[in-house]
Amino acid sequence: MKQELYRVVYCSRVRLSGPPAGIVGHLRHILATSRRNNVRADISGALLFANNCFAQTLEGPRVEVERCFERIQNDPRHSDVTVLEFGPASAREFPKWSMGFAGEPGAAHDPLAFVVFEGAFAGERPESGSAVLGLLHGLVRREEAWALA
Amino acid sequence: MLRAALLGLADGVILFDPGLRLILCNAAARHRLGWVGAPPRRGLTLASWLDHAGGLDPAERSVIREHCAALLAGDAAPAPGRDSAAAEKDLAFGDFTLRLRRLDGQGIMISLATGGDDGEAALRDPLTGLGNRRAFQAALAAALARAESEAALLLLDLDRFKHVNDSLGHPVGDALLRLVAQRLRASLRAGDTLVRLGGDEFAILLPRAEGAEPLAERLVDLLSRPYLVEGHLANIGVSIGIARAPADATEGGMLLRRADLALYAAKAAGRRQFCRFRPEMDARAQARQALETDLRRAVALGQFHLYYQPLLEVASGAVIGFEALLRWAHPTRGMVSPTEFIPLAEEVGLIVPIGEWVLRQACRAAASWPETVLVAVNVSPVQFADGARLLRAVDEALAGAGLSGMRLEIEITESVLLHDAAETLAILHDLRGRGVRIAMDDFGTGYSSLSQLRSFPFDKIKIDRSFVSEIEGQSGGKAVVRAIAALGASLGMTVTVEGVETEAQAHFVASSGGHQMQGYLISRPVPADDVAALLARLPARTARLSHETRDGI
Ligand SMILES: Cc1cc2nc3c(=O)[nH]c(=O)nc-3n(C[C@H](O)[C@H](O)[C@H](O)COP(=O)(O)O)c2cc1C
Repeated sequence: MKQELYRVVYCSRVRLSGPPAGIVGHLRHILATSRRNNVRADISGALLFANNCFAQTLEGPRVEVERCFERIQNDPRHSDVTVLEFGPASAREFPKWSMGFAGEPGAAHDPLAFVVFEGAFAGERPESGSAVLGLLHGLVRREEAWALA
Repeated sequence: MLRAALLGLADGVILFDPGLRLILCNAAARHRLGWVGAPPRRGLTLASWLDHAGGLDPAERSVIREHCAALLAGDAAPAPGRDSAAAEKDLAFGDFTLRLRRLDGQGIMISLATGGDDGEAALRDPLTGLGNRRAFQAALAAALARAESEAALLLLDLDRFKHVNDSLGHPVGDALLRLVAQRLRASLRAGDTLVRLGGDEFAILLPRAEGAEPLAERLVDLLSRPYLVEGHLANIGVSIGIARAPADATEGGMLLRRADLALYAAKAAGRRQFCRFRPEMDARAQARQALETDLRRAVALGQFHLYYQPLLEVASGAVIGFEALLRWAHPTRGMVSPTEFIPLAEEVGLIVPIGEWVLRQACRAAASWPETVLVAVNVSPVQFADGARLLRAVDEALAGAGLSGMRLEIEITESVLLHDAAETLAILHDLRGRGVRIAMDDFGTGYSSLSQLRSFPFDKIKIDRSFVSEIEGQSGGKAVVRAIAALGASLGMTVTVEGVETEAQAHFVASSGGHQMQGYLISRPVPADDVAALLARLPARTARLSHETRDGI
């Protein structure tokens, strides 16, 4: 039986410190693990790193999304996880990516991301989920090179 | 060979000789009983054997001791009238059964029936796969086996779990508990013991005194992170109490009690945090205990009194009723404030008999007043938990005093409607059926919502005193009073303003559409005996009481 497609969108605060090179190392590691695990679990999605925050979307069979999210919750490399959206989805937003990535450690703050994150953590805007999703969309497309790294 | 066979048995077997000295105790028995220390030697007395059975509590130990003695006594001289064949006794202890069997002239055999389970199952919580309460007792006894043993105990209680369980259903609640168990398990080191004590309570026992606080801090963060479970998003938190051995206690029961006090403090401090046991918590618990003891006696000793504060009708300036207010005069404590003893009375259930006393007393007092004057009585949310009893108490109070239901007004707070609203509304309608008026007290302070006001045709809303005290200031008190007064009027409810202390406030209440007012400006609450004098000073209203609210409800 094919399981229903679910999507979660969340953001969190980065708990990585050190020089940019070290952070890049951590990120590469997270991405490598994600891609390995997600392909196996039929999960696709995208991860954004900006302004010392993560935003991520995971989409796939419900049980797999829940299991993956639970693993991510146990990860001390971030905190203050705020779920913006979770529920059935009609189609994948990132069918091509086991985990697309956007972000430039050490780069200047991205003003667009800043606005979206502030709204999301404040938890007051019901549209935060789709705003973050839109942000991920735009940025992941723009930085395909990173995603393929 | 027999010995070897018995020792290797999957069922737990223990043999004692006629002098109640140990012959044999196999591994399965030791395991199931939560054996503490090295395997027992032959010749051990029953009493010291029991001391090592960490999975048994003191009551269970003494039951076993008594029955072994009784079986042996029966062996020596079967009592007349007693079935001499009663050579066997099953003792059921919660999740497992011990069978004691007298071996003719040979002593006693104790067996632990596994009942199809393996020995592990008796120590396991089936939902999470963690150890259960019994495993915890054994671990606690083992950890504190020596006086100088170091250990730390963390008691965990999930915040808001009940809410999730109620709103998303038990299967989701169960799945959530499994995720919690998983997160906890992932945070522990080898040698740490993690158990589920029941419901949403967990315990962690560390075989060291240090390191409990960093762990607790991590767990508060970790368990508060969101959960995706069975297609739902769930947010819960955790409160944690910590006690350490040997600093806080050297004995298991005491360590547990002190961790529990610390847990209580963590919850009282606002949840989602951990608290370490501090000696003053013992003192506070004792003070609370003493207050509870006094409270239990107070009704019988006649230490409660009702004071009555008049409710004034703005339009006519007449007294239309009195609110009955509970006062506790304790011989050594003096006047104890209701804010101090009502929450405790609610917590321990004493509010029910106290509330019934108030109803009886208030109705009796009102029976001696002019017929146009009603009495208002506060009823606690706890009393609504047993609706049948509340209705009976109201009926008896009215009948006992010969008072018409129309002269009784019951004041409830918004929180009454938070729990089991359907049940509560049914009780309110039953009260209304007796002619009793229903007032919403302290309006605007708690969870007030329009939908609550609409859920029942309240006769009255009482605007909380906090807004009134702000009337003269710059803050929004005025606007709030005006808005609530307009709201009440539009819903056909009488609007009463509490806490009126100055002429200026009284004028404002009158000009903004409040129907009734209450407060020191009119009169402080007075003892029952002074009501007559007060009514001589302030006119009682002359119109007869009738049901003024909307029809058809
Ligand atoms: C922001 C963030 C996003 C992550 N995303 C994923 C992911 O999509 N898939 C995944 O398997 N692990 C992800 N991880 C890593 C997990 O937390 C965890 O380390 C990993 O799943 C462990 O996998 P392993 O047992 O195969 O090493 C993420 C971690 C962080 C901090």
